[in-house]
Amino acid sequence: MVSAQNWNEVTEGQVFTLTEPMDSQRLVIWAAASGDFYQIHYDDDFAKGNNLPDIIVHGALKGMLVGRLLDEICGDTGKITNFGVSYRGMDPARQDLTVHATVTKKYEENGEHLLDLEVGVKQEDGSTETTPGTATISIPA
Amino acid sequence: MTDELELTQDMKDAIDREGDPVLYEVTTLGIRTFARAVGYTNTKYYDEDAAQAAGHAALPSPPGYLGMPVWNPNKEPSRQPTFNNPFTRNLNGGTQVQPIQQVYAGDVLSAVSRITNLTLSPSKSLGKMLIRETETVYTRQSDGVVVAKTQGQGISY
Repeated sequence: MVSAQNWNEVTEGQVFTLTEPMDSQRLVIWAAASGDFYQIHYDDDFAKGNNLPDIIVHGALKGMLVGRLLDEICGDTGKITNFGVSYRGMDPARQDLTVHATVTKKYEENGEHLLDLEVGVKQEDGSTETTPGTATISIPA
Repeated sequence: MTDELELTQDMKDAIDREGDPVLYEVTTLGIRTFARAVGYTNTKYYDEDAAQAAGHAALPSPPGYLGMPVWNPNKEPSRQPTFNNPFTRNLNGGTQVQPIQQVYAGDVLSAVSRITNLTLSPSKSLGKMLIRETETVYTRQSDGVVVAKTQGQGISY
């Protein structure tokens, strides 16, 4: 878990990460939470029958993992202004995924203490980025 | 067939048209299941006493969670305006979330979507594809306040 941040102590270029295992149980819980019951996410035979190497992680789950990382940076008194990701590639399940956020701009606007961030999700090899995006958050100073 | 496809008038007419409102229920069970799936450890998303200690009147919804559509086996919810789509396979291309007000367990949200753009585009791996950009506005039924907007990109091929 990433600890809540204070704007005064954050620096541009600072990186936050969290790493999460993406096992089949996780994907089944997400299916229940999201209502996305497409079988490529939990049925091995169905996934392989669709020319996939394994069941794959739901795109929306990756997007919401980014939301969780931002929420942890914000803590209970900050807030997310917006966040968004593109789903550029599939992530086979049964590997750890690392969610990351890098501060690209630190500024004040209309009395708020804001951070712009580049966000994304990398596969276990540490280099394959499948879910790039951006976010803006407001945190206490 | 789709190699020669251009945007049809039916597709063009769907742009900027709103779909029917769909009701989304935000429940304690839904919030806890979502929080568990995403791996939240902050107890305010699971425990009502912890939520109150953090200043919330009920379980708060984690970022991006806007409830589940009310399920009716005889009327599957369809938020988006429909048009004749010759492509049969779909991919989720991306999601943007703009939280506006905190959502809580017990809220019922009315979601209205519109297609903001449709484009046909070549793709090395998929052939020709139809890119659909949508915006959905979520309004809390109890007070009529817009609590969130989302943008999505869907790819049909």
